Amino acid sequence: MKHRIDEAGVWNNNHIIEIVNLFKVYRGGVDVKALDNINLVIEEGEFLAIVGPSGSGKSTLLNMIGLLDTPTSGKILLKGIDITQISADERARLRNRELGFVFQYHHLLPEFTALENVMMPMLIAGVKKEEARATALQFLEDVGLGDRINSRPNQLSGGQNQRVAVARALANHPSVVIGDELTGNLDTKTSDLIYDLLRKLNKKINQTFILVTHDTELAEKTDRILRIVDGKLVCEMRREGDRFVSTEVCQTAEAE
Amino acid sequence: MSRSPFPAFESTIVLKHITYRRRQTALSTAAVALAVGISIVIISIQNGFQQFIFDILFNNLPHVTVSPEEGEQYIHLYRNVVDAVWLLPGVIAVSPTLSSQATFAYKDKVENVAMMGVDPEEADKISKLSQDMVHGEFNSVLGGKRVVMGQALADRLEVKKGYTLQVSFPDAKTMNLVVAGIFDTGFPPVDEGITYVSLDTAREFLGEGDVINSINIKLEDPFLAEEVASSLTGNGYEVKGWQQLFPEIVRTLALEKAQNMITMLLIMVIATFGIANVMNMLVLEKTREIGMLMAEGANRGQIRRIFLLESGLLGLLGGILGCIIGLAVSLKLMGVELQSPTGEMMPLPVLINPWDFVTFTLLAMALSIAAGGYPAYRASKLDPVEALKG
Repeated sequence: MKHRIDEAGVWNNNHIIEIVNLFKVYRGGVDVKALDNINLVIEEGEFLAIVGPSGSGKSTLLNMIGLLDTPTSGKILLKGIDITQISADERARLRNRELGFVFQYHHLLPEFTALENVMMPMLIAGVKKEEARATALQFLEDVGLGDRINSRPNQLSGGQNQRVAVARALANHPSVVIGDELTGNLDTKTSDLIYDLLRKLNKKINQTFILVTHDTELAEKTDRILRIVDGKLVCEMRREGDRFVSTEVCQTAEAE
Repeated sequence: MSRSPFPAFESTIVLKHITYRRRQTALSTAAVALAVGISIVIISIQNGFQQFIFDILFNNLPHVTVSPEEGEQYIHLYRNVVDAVWLLPGVIAVSPTLSSQATFAYKDKVENVAMMGVDPEEADKISKLSQDMVHGEFNSVLGGKRVVMGQALADRLEVKKGYTLQVSFPDAKTMNLVVAGIFDTGFPPVDEGITYVSLDTAREFLGEGDVINSINIKLEDPFLAEEVASSLTGNGYEVKGWQQLFPEIVRTLALEKAQNMITMLLIMVIATFGIANVMNMLVLEKTREIGMLMAEGANRGQIRRIFLLESGLLGLLGGILGCIIGLAVSLKLMGVELQSPTGEMMPLPVLINPWDFVTFTLLAMALSIAAGGYPAYRASKLDPVEALKG
């Protein structure tokens, strides 16, 4: 299913995301380059963090990958599909099927129970209610909230709500899960719990995770850290065993 | 994947909004309900009034009248016309009439009135005069020189049943007539100004032979009057349906209906503006959630449908509630007695037409969906990144 494009021959490697010469410029009195010539390849099953100071463009990059925002120029290939060239409806469909989002704030619908919130992406996809309910129940159990399925967001703690949000992000079995400061509002314990959960899924079904974070502790648990400063990818570190090794990109950038 | 007209995703969100945000739901539906309720009451009174007028027109007056050719005073070969009329479908009564002015005198009292020479059996099918008789019988005019008159005229002339009075007119034969019956229709122009005699009496009075000067026709369906009239115009006589006989009434009714329609439409538009308001608030309040739904993969069409569906549903709810209110008030008004300008009490005419409920509910729904159009469009055009920031 996930490899359907292989047969067409368009996407025949495990590069789940390829970013080529990506620019995002906000026009105004002074043009602001939020993203400045980003080139990046993310492989299927990666667990990576994007770090950088506030306003560095890391969230903008994440929104581009998440099809929430459109670049000024450049290409983003998601499973070989150039998502800068497709219609709004097609982008919505890809967000629904291929991507899962968790934000700093949970953004759960306040009128709906945990179960209904997790069912929502499946209902958008047109999955039958009973089927969606069963899947949602499974995911809520996975995040340890099997006993709170009928609670509404105002009846749950911040950490619990964020776990519901994680379950919702996973609901349609997306290829890529995107987290934007997803542990930003949480205490260390809950933060660890959510990390463990994501890591488990990453290992188990080779799901790709891209996390934007301020939290160095969380970043250092991932396999690859990208540092963005002023819209430029200035540093990249890869895990080798227990430590990170800076790549050439990083040294070049620092040398400048 | 096929989509039903009520997709699970959109309807799930809408039903939750409607049941969860009870205050807003109540406010917006109440406004629509009031508008629909008021409209139904107005239209029911309008219907009742129209029915009231039509009852007078249709029950006691001819639907079609045949008059002599232009320049002629009488219809001479009227029997052919009467036979031709009877051949038309839906004819209930055909009453040849010979009417003239006449001066009635009793002692020193003198009144100028209309004297109608009729065949009482046919005339009664049109005027229902026998139902209004207070003394004597309508068909007693057949028994020779007899007259039937209204109570009001009898009072003015100070005569009672059995009295003999003198009838005269320039160029007419003065004769004595016995008051054979008195009616009271409650309709002053008739009670004061119209008297009935037999066709023979009228002919003798005018010194004419087998002639008449009008044929009054009653139809099963009054609304076929113009059709019948046009099918009779061929032979030179002047034929008019009630619409032409009473054009003022037809115009007045049409005008009043138009006025009411405009008023009702305006009330509905104002009420549905409430829905536009509630929807606008909803879009503002739910901006972050809309952003999240977009992130989850809801497309613009789905977001738009949420708000259109919700507007329509609120309109439908308001419409149904309004029908209940309208029905209750209309039923209550049905029993209300009004004082007429002449002082007597009359029931307020109210006529409830079930189709009005359907019409107004659908209208409320359509206007609500239109009212929700802009907020729905705005919601669908939100930029997900901006929306998520709130």
